[in-house]
Amino acid sequence: MPKLLALAGGAALAGCQWLVWCYAPEEATLGLMQKIFYVHLPLAWWALISFFVVFLGSLAVLARRSEAADRLCAAAAEVGVLFSGLTLLTGMIWARRSWGVWWTWDPRLSTALVMWFIYAAYLLLRGLDMAPERRRTVCAVVGVAAFLDVPLVFVSARIWRSIHPAVFASRGGGLEPEMKLTAVACVAAMGLFWAALVWLRKRQLDLAARLEAADADED
Amino acid sequence: MLRLSLAIARKDLVLTLVRGNGLVQALLLGLLLLFVFSLAQAPGEKVGPQAAAAMFWLASAFSQVLIFNRLYDVEEANGARLGLALLPAPVQGVWLGKLAAGLVLLLLAQAVFLPAALVFLGQDLVAHPFTGLAILALVDAGMCALGSLLGALAQGQSGRESLLGVVLFPLLTPLLLAGIGVGAQCLGAPAPDGPAAWLRLAAAFDAVFLGVGLVLFGFIYPGED
Repeated sequence: MPKLLALAGGAALAGCQWLVWCYAPEEATLGLMQKIFYVHLPLAWWALISFFVVFLGSLAVLARRSEAADRLCAAAAEVGVLFSGLTLLTGMIWARRSWGVWWTWDPRLSTALVMWFIYAAYLLLRGLDMAPERRRTVCAVVGVAAFLDVPLVFVSARIWRSIHPAVFASRGGGLEPEMKLTAVACVAAMGLFWAALVWLRKRQLDLAARLEAADADED
Repeated sequence: MLRLSLAIARKDLVLTLVRGNGLVQALLLGLLLLFVFSLAQAPGEKVGPQAAAAMFWLASAFSQVLIFNRLYDVEEANGARLGLALLPAPVQGVWLGKLAAGLVLLLLAQAVFLPAALVFLGQDLVAHPFTGLAILALVDAGMCALGSLLGALAQGQSGRESLLGVVLFPLLTPLLLAGIGVGAQCLGAPAPDGPAAWLRLAAAFDAVFLGVGLVLFGFIYPGED
């Protein structure tokens, strides 16, 4: 199943290249550089979804002491940190072209960076030398607290005022229909790829847990 | 539960204030940070209100890490933590007691940091004294709610100061932004929209993390070695 998902995700991402380069119109001001948006946006969305999965998995760990849910949290957090790191990198390239600087303390950028910090700290916690059950509980508590913090970070960013473009603005602005369709297709394709990554990583962690259990039985 | 919280808060305050070193360490770190930040300005140059407010809250945040590490360290000797965990009372009482003790210690530290920030960074409190007090209370309550929860997380870990800082600071970002936003206004920064939005955000943060602390502390407070 993960291989199928990875293949489907790869094929869909390749297909999206046609939409990106041939179907979606070139943006008048930014030119070709705007095309990075079709990578940036899906990465950002799936990073956020990864963190939501960590939240749900953490609730399952706390409610049912589920080891499988803990491993799902680990896999989703790793992919989420990777995707949010790539979101920041692609955003910086965009910022250089659009705003003339590699980095600006725009609140939404800062929010993305804060989320990266939070979940990088979460991964750090997972690597600590603790009793497995305590580590599961501690990470689950941080997983819940971290996700509940995300909306507050977004609201604080909005109050601080943003120069970040509104992508799917409800009134006026936003994207041309062709651009919107391409963006949605890219998000869907990246979703398949994301699911494959999380699934594969979770399976690796499942196998590692089985090996550890077998070693413990032999001892 | 409230009786347990009050007893724990009183015990922690007595132990910390009588021995002194827990609070003194936090005070010195905060003052040192303010002094070092003040070196960022050229001689005769004035730090902007927003930068000054940021420095004040950073000093408070670093002190808070030391305060909560100290508060949770108190029970590490002689198995006292197990005694607390076995008490016939909700374990959330421990969280609330530590929160209350931490809040008092943080306010004491800030009573020193505020005049120090005004002096070192050349600031004047120009307006909004009640707003300033309100944001101080709201931000401190949120910081201590989260600090008390995550302080238990770092308990017993090696390098717990850095661990607590790494986990705590990013989570505190919205609250620190609120503190800095309103603090800057109190120091004279122009604010067309006023402090209401920041006050609401800080209150929302407090509500969320007071609830989170109350619900999740039971999972995190270790009842074993």
